[in-house]
Amino acid sequence: MADFAQQLIDYICKEIIRRPGVQIGVDTPLVSSGLIDSFSLVDVLSKLEEVTATRIPAGKVQPKDMDTVSLMLSTAQRVGKPRR
Amino acid sequence: MSARFPPVRVPFATLSEALLAAPQEKPFVTMWLDDDDERTFTFGEFTRWSNAQAVSFKEHGLGKGDTVILIMPQGVALMAAFAGAMLLGAVPAILAYPTFKVEPAKYRFGLAGVSANLNAKLVVVDESFPAEFLESVSLSDQSKLIRAHSSPPTSGNGAVTHVPSEPEDLAFVQHSAGTTGLQKGVALSHGAVLRQLVHLSHALQIRPSDRIYNWLPLYHDMGLIACFILPMVYHLHVVMQSPTDWVLQPRSMLHLISKYKCTLSWVPNFALSFLARRVKSEDRRDYDLSSLRALINCSEPVRAESMDSFAAVFSPCGLQPMALQSSYAMAENVFAVTQSGMNGGTPPRTWVDGAKYQSERIAVPVEKGSGPCFVSSGQSLPNNEVRIVSEKGHTLPDGHVGEILIRSDSMLDGYYNRPDLTSLSLRDGWYWSGDLGFLLDHELYVTGRKKDLIIVGGKNIYPQDVEEIAFSHPAIHDGRAVAFGCYNADLGTEEIVLVAEVEEPSNLGNSSAIDRAIRGAIVAELGVAPRTIYLKPPRWIVKSTAGKPARSATREKLLAEHPELRIS
Repeated sequence: MADFAQQLIDYICKEIIRRPGVQIGVDTPLVSSGLIDSFSLVDVLSKLEEVTATRIPAGKVQPKDMDTVSLMLSTAQRVGKPRR
Repeated sequence: MSARFPPVRVPFATLSEALLAAPQEKPFVTMWLDDDDERTFTFGEFTRWSNAQAVSFKEHGLGKGDTVILIMPQGVALMAAFAGAMLLGAVPAILAYPTFKVEPAKYRFGLAGVSANLNAKLVVVDESFPAEFLESVSLSDQSKLIRAHSSPPTSGNGAVTHVPSEPEDLAFVQHSAGTTGLQKGVALSHGAVLRQLVHLSHALQIRPSDRIYNWLPLYHDMGLIACFILPMVYHLHVVMQSPTDWVLQPRSMLHLISKYKCTLSWVPNFALSFLARRVKSEDRRDYDLSSLRALINCSEPVRAESMDSFAAVFSPCGLQPMALQSSYAMAENVFAVTQSGMNGGTPPRTWVDGAKYQSERIAVPVEKGSGPCFVSSGQSLPNNEVRIVSEKGHTLPDGHVGEILIRSDSMLDGYYNRPDLTSLSLRDGWYWSGDLGFLLDHELYVTGRKKDLIIVGGKNIYPQDVEEIAFSHPAIHDGRAVAFGCYNADLGTEEIVLVAEVEEPSNLGNSSAIDRAIRGAIVAELGVAPRTIYLKPPRWIVKSTAGKPARSATREKLLAEHPELRIS
């Protein structure tokens, strides 16, 4: 799980936030703090599916479930279905 | 209704009569969460639910002409509450449901202001509405707050509760776009709404087999009028999901259009770019968009690159060349003022002399590709007139950029309880939109906003609101911040750029923390994240002769220092 978290943190910093000097942790609020906007969540969700090797069904996730890396991983555990 | 327009034959006298005349077995609304969780309501089922709401509201004292505020998540329960209120002859108004991003204090402030202005007899929230916001709802001695059930009634085939209205009675209040504190309630009569729908249905050649797809919020005119009231009156099927579900799963829009063979949909410009970029190429083969007659770009300036990228990506999915259309619409006119494609074809484009456009604000057509490109928002609907005027209010000829004025037979009665705002915007029968544009061969080209408004993903943001948030940070010099919009071609919409002066040069050493604090506050209060915040030393911002920050000059100075902002 720690590895999943680090992969997500690296992705969010390098591909989404893209501002030097910004560091985030597993519990850093992302959308509610303005570090990323709601429209980036679709990319983050895809990465979450890839990292956790799950398929996360539409309608089972709300933006608030994606506000921190910890919440993302809990969401994947809660609603993710293993990829076939 | 203005006597200057010829009378229009409307299909029903009021909106509630339109609902009651619907074929009972025909599907009305499908609410989709995912393929394992979707439900379709026929017009009969929907009417029964609406009637149950009407009975409940009546028991709580709601009567003809009373206003009722609805604050509920996107869904059939909200729609049934809206229709139920209209069955009683009451006047419903939908307010945005709070999201997790919202700052409670800000939401409470906006809610208190809007609810006080509406002076509602009843405020209806859903079972999950956060208790912390309830105390902000302004209730008078005669008003009441209730929680509505989110599931349909299990019984209720009794007589319909219907209090007939007159065509010129108020039907509902829809709020013009803008931050909550600045929202204005647009009061619309049954007649105005029905006349607009007659014109729109004529322009779109609406037929009973049409099916609408929607993810737009119902508190916005595009969602409310085009995707709820239009299908309710013309007895069409609408397939709906919530905006938040769509943002997380944009491909679900394509899935639903394919699955239900939807024929009509409305989206803001950014959605076209968003879908073209975010839907993976391997997923595209799953979609069949051949059923779409019109996918209408509306509520943001129409961008050629967004239309082109969407067409390029989704033509292999059966998207018809004529499907991408455009419209210029506003709550104050119920909805659409113009619509493209009425005479066949796609929205015309015009390329203009860039130098002339920048220096004189005149659009002089040049050869294709040799200047900035503008896409038409279409021609005026029947009984709608558009005029372009100068700063002094003089009518301008074709090609000259000025403020867009409209006049029609579907205009607002006024801003609800705000005669001061009404007299500012409605003068001699013309509505002064605050939008800028030009006419060319009867086509309307919308170029921007007169009042520095920033439009982010279809949401109106006032730069003053962003600047106020910056001022509230102790490290920012009070009154020394400027916000403006910067178009991001990649996203197909504007983004917020903020430049602010720090109190002391030493504050710049703490830029990261200041950036984070302001960024968080902007999201909490306005619901959108700024793209970039530039912190500058004291006396950096350009001031006007009156000593106030000069927005335009400061913008140019920042763009000169950061040319990358222009490129994106």
